[in-house]
Amino acid sequence: MTAKASPRVDASEDLPSASLILSPRDSGRLRESFDMVTSATLQGQLLDFSAWSEILTTYGRTMKVAVALTDSQGQILGKCHNAQPVWQLVHDAARSWGSGCPFCLTTHVPCTAVAEALQTGGAVMVRDQAGLTHVAVPLLLGKLRFGAIIAGQVFDRYPDPLLLRRVAKEFGVSAQRLWELAREQRPVSDAILQASGDLLCALGNAFLRQRYGAILEAKLAETNGRFRLLVEGVRDHALFTMDPTGRVTSWNGGAERLLGYVEAEIVGQNFSCIFTGEDIQNHVPEKQLNQAMEEGRAENEGWRVRGNRNRFWANVNITAVENAGLARGFAIIVHDVTEQRKVATVLEEARQERECLQEKLISHVSHELRTPLTAIYLFTTNLLDGVFGDLTPDQHEHLTFALDNVKQLKSMVGDLLDITRVETHKLTVDPQHLSLAKLIDDVLSTCLTNAAVKNITLRSDVAPGVPFIWADPARVRQILINLIDNGIKFASAGGNVTVATRPAENEGFLCLSVSDTGCGISRENREIVFDRLSQVRSTAEASRTGLGLGLFISRELVSLHGGRIWVESELGHGSIFCFTLPVFSLAKLCAHVLTATNLEAGCVALIAVEVAAVEGAVQADLLLEIRKVLERCIRPGLDVLLPSMSDAQPVGTFFIVACTDDKGFEVIASRLVRELQNFDSASKLKPVISSTTSLLAPGPFGEEQIADVAARVEQLVQTHLLGKERLK
Amino acid sequence: MTENKILIIDDDQHLLLALTARLKAKNYRVICAADAISAITVARREVPDLVILDLGLPAGDGFRVLERMRDLTDLVAIPVIVLSARDPADNRKRALDAGAVAFFQKPPDNHEFLSAIRHALGETVALSTFLRT
Repeated sequence: MTAKASPRVDASEDLPSASLILSPRDSGRLRESFDMVTSATLQGQLLDFSAWSEILTTYGRTMKVAVALTDSQGQILGKCHNAQPVWQLVHDAARSWGSGCPFCLTTHVPCTAVAEALQTGGAVMVRDQAGLTHVAVPLLLGKLRFGAIIAGQVFDRYPDPLLLRRVAKEFGVSAQRLWELAREQRPVSDAILQASGDLLCALGNAFLRQRYGAILEAKLAETNGRFRLLVEGVRDHALFTMDPTGRVTSWNGGAERLLGYVEAEIVGQNFSCIFTGEDIQNHVPEKQLNQAMEEGRAENEGWRVRGNRNRFWANVNITAVENAGLARGFAIIVHDVTEQRKVATVLEEARQERECLQEKLISHVSHELRTPLTAIYLFTTNLLDGVFGDLTPDQHEHLTFALDNVKQLKSMVGDLLDITRVETHKLTVDPQHLSLAKLIDDVLSTCLTNAAVKNITLRSDVAPGVPFIWADPARVRQILINLIDNGIKFASAGGNVTVATRPAENEGFLCLSVSDTGCGISRENREIVFDRLSQVRSTAEASRTGLGLGLFISRELVSLHGGRIWVESELGHGSIFCFTLPVFSLAKLCAHVLTATNLEAGCVALIAVEVAAVEGAVQADLLLEIRKVLERCIRPGLDVLLPSMSDAQPVGTFFIVACTDDKGFEVIASRLVRELQNFDSASKLKPVISSTTSLLAPGPFGEEQIADVAARVEQLVQTHLLGKERLK
Repeated sequence: MTENKILIIDDDQHLLLALTARLKAKNYRVICAADAISAITVARREVPDLVILDLGLPAGDGFRVLERMRDLTDLVAIPVIVLSARDPADNRKRALDAGAVAFFQKPPDNHEFLSAIRHALGETVALSTFLRT
């Protein structure tokens, strides 16, 4: 028979693990889950009987009951206030406790009081078959069941002699002694026991919570203590914290040692005192805090100042410490890296010195090699060109071989110098408006001798109307010669090497390709072929010539132009080396003039300078000189003298895209006339200078309109319409 | 038309020998100087139509010769082609700014070099003719 007591103990939401939702009926699962979330140590600490004994003893003494503490499984952890010697007597005598409950004296049926109390969350009163009553109250933290307290009397009325005898017999104690003890016992009624059960429930759980709080606090204090020890123990880093305004709130031993302030003097001060005066003037401390505030952290290096005004090079990490989005302050780690910096500086200087020496050495070697090379070259070519008379076919052949070797040596010396430039980042390109058709023809004729030796046909497959490119002519030549020579080297005798152009995948680029009918390159070699000193050994032609730098330098040169280089190949089917170069773009060249602002303000003009001689045609050489004069006339950074955008013979019309309006044009025109007259003092040149702003449609100007203007300028220039239309 | 007179300034005797042979074969009159000081003396005495100038010279740099020539009224109009083993990246612009008409790195391509010589000589002829008429 069971009687339930109320009230239940409400689960408190703010206790840990309260989020764990458990069905109170499923006590098996409950225990399991409980074990999962609460460490055995914490359980042990919470239910440490020595902590509980005082409160339980007091309770027992007051209420004239015996009290026991059990864990969630009903195991007795301790008992106290043995107000009932009889209970003690039987309890001590008992070897095995059938019911598992010390309050159930006359039954071997397991006592369900604890389990029930834990399941229902309230006090449960149980009367055993002998008519003995006790009450079990659960100990709860949130939804977690920790254990129970059992309180009760062994006897709740004056002892029944028969019952006593039965108990005495069952537990093997003296009936006489039991009787004497029982007679002294005062009874507690069921009603009182039930009321006291509620009290015990409240009391027990209040104490459990208090105990839990105390344990947490002790843990926190321990962690804090450890952390403090750790922070204090860090000697080579300054660790300190600040409030959101930058005032120091804590200061470790490392900070004291590194920055030279003791905690007492620095706490409350602004951390700007560790900055240099210059940094403070430039608001560097504030900027760094703002950065940390915005980005969560800020890391920087720079000079900082110790208390004794000595400087050191510091690495500083500022971390914003936040709570729910509100900045609570900052944690700062400062590390003295002066030594590392010194070492790094020394290393860097050593590296630069080494590079410089290397560069000097190579340029010296290259210079010294060139002098004898020049003499050999000149003597050989003198003989070959018949300066000293005709040669026999044998002599001619041998001297040709000598000349080939000299050329090879010359290009190796050039490569050597280029490679140093790559290493010292001094390899540069000087891009200009460039016609490929001409350049490729020129390059092919250079490579002709080389190709003839192996009976290789050189072909050019350049589409008509191929756009002008924006590249360094000497460097494009160098790349093409490298690739063609490479192709000749690997093509089988009687094969072809073809130079072709096609639009590149990237807009604004043109793709050039050099294909050969050679042995091809395997996949793994395709990846390393552009690496320095990599030379793929051909099975057909195992000759190693050159330094193996050609493709590496070509790759560097292409990438300096903003393009890329790659090889397409299949073993046995030849190779195609492709590279991309930027297409000439008038819009890009004039981008700083053709801006929306300039166009809307109407201060962009296309100026045409036509130079005609009074008598006869102007010579091409003279036109080159005139171009130089015009180049000096224009304002660099403002005006652009357009390149001669025609493949045809140079014509006497020059175009300038100028950043000027009508008034400004007069000034520019008079300057141009004056300079040209100075150049040609006899005034035989007749410059005609005209300008147009008619290429400007009314604004506003977006990117598209600007591109249109550029296209129109290009069209005007290409067709030389401007000169004919005489726009003014 | 009289033969054009070319002054080669270079301290490498073999280069002088080979270049002289080549230019003479092209019907130029060739005179040589092997250091910076004699270069100016010879130039003032001979007044060549063209100077081929090395940069690394005993008793002075090629640039000094170029500057000196630009200071002397009798030499200022003579075109100078620089022929040097030095790195064009560092020296071409400097030489052209100092008044040279062309820069060639050693060894030069014969064809280009000779056409530059023709160009330099022809240019002076053309300009002077142009200005004279």
